Amino acid sequence: MNVAPATTRAQWRVVDIVVASVIAVASGVIFWAWNAGYGFVSLAFVAFPPASAFLSGMWLFPAVLGALIIRKPGAALYCELLAAIISALLGSQWGLGVLISGAIQGLGAELIFAAFRYRRWNLPVALLAGFMTGIFGGIGEAYLMGYFAEYTEAMKLFHVVATGISGLIIAGLLTWLATRALAKTGALGALTSRSAHLESPWGRA
Amino acid sequence: MSNASAARTAERTSKRGLEILATDFGWHHAEREVPALQGLNVRIPAGQKVLLLGASGAGKSTLLHALAGVLEADERQISTGELRIQKQDAFARTFPVGLMQQDPETQIVQSRVGDDVAFGAENLGIAPEIIRARIPQVLKEVGLGDLDLGHRTQELSGGQKQRLALAGILAMNPGLMLLDEPTANIDPAGIEPLRDAVLAAAESTGATLIVVEHRLQAWAKHVDRVLVLAPGGGILHDLNPQALFDDEKIRRELAASGIWVPGFVPVTEPVGTSPGAQLLTAAEMQVSRSVRAVRTRPIDLELRASRALVVLGENGAGKSTLALTLGGLLEPASGTLEASAQLSQGQGSEPFSWRAGVLVGRIGTVFQEPEHQFVTQSVREELAFAPTRARLAGSQQDQFDSQAVERRVEELLERLGLTALADANPFTLSGGEKRRLSVATVLAASPDVLILDEPTFGQDANTWLELATILIEELRSGTSVVAVTHDADFARALEASALHLTREADNAGRRIAVQGPMLDAPLGRSWLTKINPLAKLGAVAAATLPLISTIDWVSACVIIGATLLALPLAGLSVGRFLRRSWPLIIAGALAAWGIALVGEDSGATLISLGILSISEGSVNAGIATGLRAMALAVPTVLLLSSTNPSDLGGALAQQLKVPHRFVLGALAGMRLLGLLVEEFTTLTLARRARGVGDLRSPIQRVKAKLGQVLALLVQALRRAGRLAVTMEAKGFGTGTRTWVRSATFTLRDAAVLTVGILLGSAAIGAALWAGTFNLVWT
Repeated sequence: MNVAPATTRAQWRVVDIVVASVIAVASGVIFWAWNAGYGFVSLAFVAFPPASAFLSGMWLFPAVLGALIIRKPGAALYCELLAAIISALLGSQWGLGVLISGAIQGLGAELIFAAFRYRRWNLPVALLAGFMTGIFGGIGEAYLMGYFAEYTEAMKLFHVVATGISGLIIAGLLTWLATRALAKTGALGALTSRSAHLESPWGRA
Repeated sequence: MSNASAARTAERTSKRGLEILATDFGWHHAEREVPALQGLNVRIPAGQKVLLLGASGAGKSTLLHALAGVLEADERQISTGELRIQKQDAFARTFPVGLMQQDPETQIVQSRVGDDVAFGAENLGIAPEIIRARIPQVLKEVGLGDLDLGHRTQELSGGQKQRLALAGILAMNPGLMLLDEPTANIDPAGIEPLRDAVLAAAESTGATLIVVEHRLQAWAKHVDRVLVLAPGGGILHDLNPQALFDDEKIRRELAASGIWVPGFVPVTEPVGTSPGAQLLTAAEMQVSRSVRAVRTRPIDLELRASRALVVLGENGAGKSTLALTLGGLLEPASGTLEASAQLSQGQGSEPFSWRAGVLVGRIGTVFQEPEHQFVTQSVREELAFAPTRARLAGSQQDQFDSQAVERRVEELLERLGLTALADANPFTLSGGEKRRLSVATVLAASPDVLILDEPTFGQDANTWLELATILIEELRSGTSVVAVTHDADFARALEASALHLTREADNAGRRIAVQGPMLDAPLGRSWLTKINPLAKLGAVAAATLPLISTIDWVSACVIIGATLLALPLAGLSVGRFLRRSWPLIIAGALAAWGIALVGEDSGATLISLGILSISEGSVNAGIATGLRAMALAVPTVLLLSSTNPSDLGGALAQQLKVPHRFVLGALAGMRLLGLLVEEFTTLTLARRARGVGDLRSPIQRVKAKLGQVLALLVQALRRAGRLAVTMEAKGFGTGTRTWVRSATFTLRDAAVLTVGILLGSAAIGAALWAGTFNLVWT
């Protein structure tokens, strides 16, 4: 007795929703600290503004981190979108456009996890998801939203590729490492990813 | 389900407690070797008030969580036997049950007092008008009757937060209330009001009450029964509360397992030292958290070797800030803090100016939350961290060679009884072990001055004794010890002198200030605050998003102009508007510069910078891009300065039918933003106190920052876990919910939305008319 109806792997439990939300909020804090402490970093790009795309993975990591920790359909999209909403509420330089960007970026990562039917959470998938969220984000900014509409074609392409590489490293590699480090602390105890640190980097789990 | 709701309705109208019956009940958590509970047999009659005790790991919290229905059995978590509430399976959650945990921050779900009280009752589907009537009633019952319903929950003290959580529980009208160390994380001054509120609530509702505590003084006289859980499973003792006072054998046994039986103080050896050399001297020193924060009164004090000083004072008097300043982590706001030559050993006399590596070997600071100071992945590395970074005065030379570090680590492992855990991850230790480790990590670099913030807060009697013993040894070996504490017994054990901090008169009764960014800042009473949030959001979207299609200065200027004209509607003066929007304006200027530099050139070349050049064409394109960026961003200032995120969430869920679990989950998470920002700031200081920040290569620096981000995520996840338990215990996500604040859409709201649509069309129309329209997708 006492067996509650088993939740399926796809269903979000309350703890999944709250943890995903708090990850997005913590991402908002990290954005805030990044803005507050690293304003000069962006000034460093005054000489060649498109190079700032190399750091844009900073804005993309919630998507992959959320998915790797929650391991549910929609986690990448939800975390990225909520992180975008929070940066909009804190006053974003892109206005409501940030919501569209968030949705596009989240979708990039989400599609990769969906392609693996939400069964693979290993390093290659994380790298691919990070790269894809960058490519989606870059295309969104350079072509769809037209933030750089006056760039030359080569510059736009450079922007997309640089964002993808940044996504691969910051949103892909670093979040995968972070998930393992978090699992080691026992902080993921209530979640499906609780033993992420014991899984093989290339494994099926 | 109909049975359940019928039972709920019956329960709501009756005023009696629920009976609990456990038969061979057990619970096995996923990935634990032994069950948390097993073979539990006990009957608790309706309305009884029970104090539940047991050594750490005896399964007290697990039992409360099972009763609250927040444990979920699956393929990896197993329950055995039976746990019944009023003859119904506890896991079926037939009856509302109230649960309060120890962390006040995560017992609150909503950002406004009234909303938070209503949260649980709304989840149970209770009719809004009944909840509205209950809110003031239950707030009065817990002694918060004078709070405005719109008061921000973030501005309450820890004790008030717990009483607010209790009000929310009462609004659910539960027949069973479960309290898991409700007073462990609040100041002594808040304990009695909270306890009285709990007892009054139990009395008036007739609810069965189970309290888990390890400080028994406040509760022992007011409960009917004491149950002691056996570590291996089952009930060890079933006592009359009087036994906690009279029965010496029981008292000794409980005290030995770390429980604070009433009137018990662990016996420590006398310190018996005489004051040594002067190490740190503060003269006319005022301290404050930041430039804009309130300062304390001027403080004069001397820290001498082999002497202890305790800092006392009420909340908000600046005790922790003083500790951080003495620790060389904050700069004094005025006056001086001077290290003697013996302490500074050739460094400057101001500790704040020392590098982290110099600081750790001279002044050590132990933070209140041990996890804030963990910087590595194992206990052994944690202990070796500071000594390997400690630097000799005035040089980059190591203070300890590698063999000395190793000796020191082994010695500390031995002394603190952590040898068996040397390779464990620090975050996985028990509460008491974490506390001991955090003290040991700081002692590892042999500082001459040791500063501790609330070291005994929430600790059991065994950890207390171990801490006192370590500090007495340190005093004997010549260390100067400063402790911020409320604990008079601890001060006596250290034979400490006392410094009382009082609040500045004009600071008294002030609300608890919130630092960092806020999502739900108070809004004032402008016309726009009365408009439906979705109407405002829709209007801003309709006015700004069409601008994405074109890069021209005409459409952008229409929107920027309209925003400026609408400022009075949001109650914003031009000055306040500029204060809020200057980052957006700078971002616009940067965007303009970027395009001017690398945009396609046309017309006359103005400046040539190697392969990059600025031409007339690229300057014009840059200006248009910058204006468009501003036009996209500034109207949101109108929206944000007149909209509470909770109202926006409510409207999204009620009117746009966005799934309410996600909307409310997001809002509950967002309430933690300010707290996490504060935690991030604390982490910066706590890590400097560990010697992080004195790093030689850029890679080490990046790794250190990433470590800080990881530490923030750990704290965030821990809070999220507790918050999820709170929300589940309040019936979140189980069925159809009601809303106390119902969202409406009036003609006025429709008018605002229409104006937004017209503005968007007008902007594009103006650009077409002026011939500047410039489609981006070509």
